[in-house]
Amino acid sequence: MTRHQRLGSIFWLVVGIYVAIASYQLGLGRLHKPGPGFIFFLSSLILIILGIIDLVGNLKRPKIEKEKKAEPIWRGFRWHKVLLVLGGIVAYIYFLNLLGFLLSTFLLMVFLYKAVEPTRWWVAILSSLITTVVSYGIFRVWLQVPFPPGILEF
Amino acid sequence: MEVLDNLYLGFSHIFILENLIYCFLGVFIGTLIGVLPGIGPVGAMSILLPATFKTSPIGSIIMLGGIYYGAMYGGSTTSILVNIPGEAASVVTCLDGYQMARHGRAGPALGIAAFGSFIAGTLSIVGLMLIAPPLASIALRFGPPEYFSLMCLGLTILIYLASGSIIRALMMAVFGVIIGCVGQDAETGSPRFVFGIYDLMDGIGLAPFVMGLFGISEVFLNIEQVLKERNIFETKLKRLFPNLQDWKDSAMPIMRGSILGFLLGILPGGGAVISSFASYGIEKKISKHPEKFGKGAIEGVAGPESANNSATGGAFIPLLTLGIPPNVVMALLLGALMMHGVTPGPRLIQENPVIFWGVVASMYVGNGMLLLLNLPLIGLWVQVLKVPYKILFPLIILFCVIGAYSINNSTFDIAIMLIFGVLGYLMRKYNFEGAPMVLAFVLGPMLENALRLSLLMSDGSFLIFFNRPIAAGGMIVTILMLISCIVPVIRKKREAIPLEEA
Repeated sequence: MTRHQRLGSIFWLVVGIYVAIASYQLGLGRLHKPGPGFIFFLSSLILIILGIIDLVGNLKRPKIEKEKKAEPIWRGFRWHKVLLVLGGIVAYIYFLNLLGFLLSTFLLMVFLYKAVEPTRWWVAILSSLITTVVSYGIFRVWLQVPFPPGILEF
Repeated sequence: MEVLDNLYLGFSHIFILENLIYCFLGVFIGTLIGVLPGIGPVGAMSILLPATFKTSPIGSIIMLGGIYYGAMYGGSTTSILVNIPGEAASVVTCLDGYQMARHGRAGPALGIAAFGSFIAGTLSIVGLMLIAPPLASIALRFGPPEYFSLMCLGLTILIYLASGSIIRALMMAVFGVIIGCVGQDAETGSPRFVFGIYDLMDGIGLAPFVMGLFGISEVFLNIEQVLKERNIFETKLKRLFPNLQDWKDSAMPIMRGSILGFLLGILPGGGAVISSFASYGIEKKISKHPEKFGKGAIEGVAGPESANNSATGGAFIPLLTLGIPPNVVMALLLGALMMHGVTPGPRLIQENPVIFWGVVASMYVGNGMLLLLNLPLIGLWVQVLKVPYKILFPLIILFCVIGAYSINNSTFDIAIMLIFGVLGYLMRKYNFEGAPMVLAFVLGPMLENALRLSLLMSDGSFLIFFNRPIAAGGMIVTILMLISCIVPVIRKKREAIPLEEA
């Protein structure tokens, strides 16, 4: 737990440093006429200070937490499922304009039904078909959201 | 009384079948969408905005307002039963509402949320009717320093609520300001942190950001565990009505929440979001048993739920009287009105009384419809939520994806939603809270604008925030609150908060 907390603080510290440098390059302006980078610079400085306080606080903690076992946050979790779902949605973004709404949505739904939990093929396909058609009806036909037509030309 | 005459005028326009249907459609769709995690009122209103162009101005605002109300009600249902906030203002309801459900008290939680919302919503409409004109004239005297200090105060109240590390909550708020300001600089036009992406010139959209940070991240957190149906409670919701003790415990939180929500709803920024957090913070602070909060205290549901509904009445004030939307939702309503050629402002009440009083009347009707819908149909919403999660989560993802896409007809917003989904997921794993980030995100651009203008006015001196009474009051309270939070941390007198599962 302590190591994870440290990682978290370090991450935000790095973010703060990056934003500070980038915002300085944007231009801070003057106090009576703040430039585009002013708010970013101010915020990133605060972030850096808070990150340091948080990190120092974590470094001081080991004495208290030594006896407590660190709670695992990755071991025992199916984070690969998360990656799978993430990959599926990324693919959807890519294929939406290419294949159009109907086909890409259908494929995405089948993938999501199958990827995470064991689901029978006919259940996945039927549910995906129904969901795709219903959502098309609601969003395209009724609400007129202009989805990309793709290869099916709908 | 003139107010009653005007109200009669408003009601006479509402009780036309066409407008009643729009009202009903709005509240029904709003509740349905509010119940489904993923799409919040902003997403719902964005999707339905084009559909409202075919209606009259009053019809479109009635429907959009109904969606907003409905989504608030629906959001509380999903917060209590599934621990997934339907939208940002329901985040707080998860804290105690879900715990109440875990202890078999989902019914009273839902009941008090519905009744509290109805009471608060009704009170806030009364407030809107009576207070709009004089409040508008006072608010005209607010300048950038006042806005800046009030926004800082609002953020501080939120951070005060943090049940984990205050420092980390502050960090998230600061980061929220940073990402809220991404985009084209209003003053100089220069692109800031857009990385050459044209879509980012208008900034990061609130809807994909919130949907990702709360909706998608929640899905990720659920699917990485072996899916059991433990998340959705099987409690038989026979008893929806809170008992006498519940009412006794909730009466004052509802009253306080109504007033607080109404006042905070007027302020620019979070509106319903900030008022729900502020209410929770206050109830916890003044409670005789603060240790109960986070473990199923009904005050932790009654107060925030009342506040977030009351905030809608308050939020209409600056929109309808000044033409200034205090938050994104009101900005959408402003857009809808302008599409119909109606410009809200100080003269709206005189030039278009039908619009103003029609909206007021529709809120009464809408509140009534929501109470009638929400309680009897809880069974329906619960059935919706009882669908096995392995069937539900693809639907949630699909709704989120379509919701994000439909805002700008762009896949870029889906990508934004995904990015913040991953961030939200990692934040939850590493114990960082998302709520302060959301509020700061909304307030960020306004904060920057107020800060810039204030420094311009004062020729670079920060003393301007202390020279003006209202601004000074806000800043002093902010500083005192921050000190009262941070000093105990430094002195290590703060009890170690056991890190509960999300």
